[in-house]
Amino acid sequence: MDLSPRLTLSRRAALRLGASGVASLALTGGAFAQAWERFEPARKLIGDAKPSPDGLTLELPLVSEDGSSVQLTVSANRPMTDGDYVQSIHLFATRNPSPEIASFELTPRAGRANVMTRVRLNESQAVIAVARTSKGEVLVASRDVRVTQSGCLVRADTYESTGEMQPRVRVPAKVSAGAPAEILTLINHPMETGLREGADGKILPQRIVRSFEATLDGESFFKATLYRSLAANPYLRFYAVPAKSGKLAFKWTEDTGRTAEASASIAVG
Amino acid sequence: MTPAVLSLWAGFVIGLAFGAAGQVTGFCLTRGLVGWWVTGDGRKIRAFALALAIAILVTQLADAAGLIDVRQSIYLGATFSWLLMPLGGVLFGYGMVACNGCGSRAIVLLGQGNLRSFVVLVCLGIAAYMTLTGLLAPLRTQIAGVTGAAIGEGPQSLPYLARAVSSNVARVVFALVAVGLLLWFVFAHAPFRASRKDIAGGLIIGALIPAGWLATGWLGFDDFDPAPLVSLTFVAPIGETIQYAMIATGTKVSFGVAVVCGVFLGSLAAALSTGSFHLEGFPTAQRMARYMAGGALMGIGGALALGCSIGQGLTGLSTLALGSFLAAGGILLGGRLALRGPLALPPL
Repeated sequence: MDLSPRLTLSRRAALRLGASGVASLALTGGAFAQAWERFEPARKLIGDAKPSPDGLTLELPLVSEDGSSVQLTVSANRPMTDGDYVQSIHLFATRNPSPEIASFELTPRAGRANVMTRVRLNESQAVIAVARTSKGEVLVASRDVRVTQSGCLVRADTYESTGEMQPRVRVPAKVSAGAPAEILTLINHPMETGLREGADGKILPQRIVRSFEATLDGESFFKATLYRSLAANPYLRFYAVPAKSGKLAFKWTEDTGRTAEASASIAVG
Repeated sequence: MTPAVLSLWAGFVIGLAFGAAGQVTGFCLTRGLVGWWVTGDGRKIRAFALALAIAILVTQLADAAGLIDVRQSIYLGATFSWLLMPLGGVLFGYGMVACNGCGSRAIVLLGQGNLRSFVVLVCLGIAAYMTLTGLLAPLRTQIAGVTGAAIGEGPQSLPYLARAVSSNVARVVFALVAVGLLLWFVFAHAPFRASRKDIAGGLIIGALIPAGWLATGWLGFDDFDPAPLVSLTFVAPIGETIQYAMIATGTKVSFGVAVVCGVFLGSLAAALSTGSFHLEGFPTAQRMARYMAGGALMGIGGALALGCSIGQGLTGLSTLALGSFLAAGGILLGGRLALRGPLALPPL
């Protein structure tokens, strides 16, 4: 006599279960909605436009032990022509206390929509990039980063900086006509978020480098608005395609109004 | 070649030298302790002491010359844990004797075909990362938080203790005294003086420590891409190498990973070229369990003590950091407990 309990499903029951499973997955709209869809500031920025998930690449390490300075590169693999170029790029750290990282504005003179910087990530999260082109196209990209040592915003070494407002730039002395010149810029600044206590127990007020502008012979081609989620000692790497030899000028402005400037000559040959 | 890439290649070459020298000369702290305290052969321990003397001397010279600033290393932080440094050292020392060699020795042995070392390395790497950023990490950070110690407000090093005199004078005095004592201990022993292999091992490994500092702090110096000042250490990097192998698409090679790869390949090359490569495994299951436990102890202990026999015993001590003295002392104590006394392990 077979006394084993009936644990097997009849074929009909199995089919029913399977169908309802598939249906529930479909209803949740692929429960795997894109990171930007769930993020309010990104949705607001995108508005009614239909964003394209191709065309914009966001590079970040998969795992970062130290969230206080994580390298990020955002790039769009498309030529920058006068009629069609990437006009702005916005970066967000979805789970940071203040998610905005930076916004960049480019002109065709920038030659490449490729910006590298370093960001602060308070915890494991998705980082989102939204780009707009001059024709109104919207591009989106996101990357998940695992941060293993969190709480970076209250640790003193997140803000380590000496010689405040001292800028440094690295520009190739010479570049061939039409070729993009890689420009590295750095300015010493703690980028005080206003979230941490000083030695005396009082909260240190917010003080960050708010904006950066690069010009070539007076023509502005790269502007950045920086926010609290950018790492200390703001580092920006971008490109320029000079038509002829000229002078590059860079200006940083702190939210208190203080400024710092640097310049470099570049020859085209 | 950017400074970052240059320092990685330098790390790889340093690793090759370490691996080859380790394979050919048999440089090993564990063998040194066994010889010193059990079998009566004092040569290997003196090779280690010679390496330490060279490491301290050349590192302090490079620091005094301004080529590197050792205060930027993790060994000279503002605080250190008076509990975790020695405790980690003891766990590491005990584990090291349990598997007959520390982490770096395991990489060298793996290069000559010793598959027991593969097991040790995997257990070490996983246990280390469990302690640094995994399941044991919250416990570790909590204990580190309540046992943090600092003497004064500067870098926690031996010369800093005597800063009232003058930190440069104090540094020179301490370095010379330490190097002098070590060299006397090393060369007063006739069998060591006669052993060219051990002298060579000590000199080469010792020189690789400041080479590491210079690779990351001088060759690799880049304002725009700051990288941590590190030298040879073999606990976190072993875990990092395992992790890198698994998520290479989303992470970059670090100096430690480059060194670990170099050590393995250097040892492999040396073993193949001298005909000493042969596959070896475990004779019994008990032996495998002992090695797995030893590897785990080394991983946990090394993570707590921020370094291993090389990482703290040579690299950390080369900065004359107080925490490194605690960690290195703990390693010696752990080795002693495993070799003599009530907790001693049966000899292999």
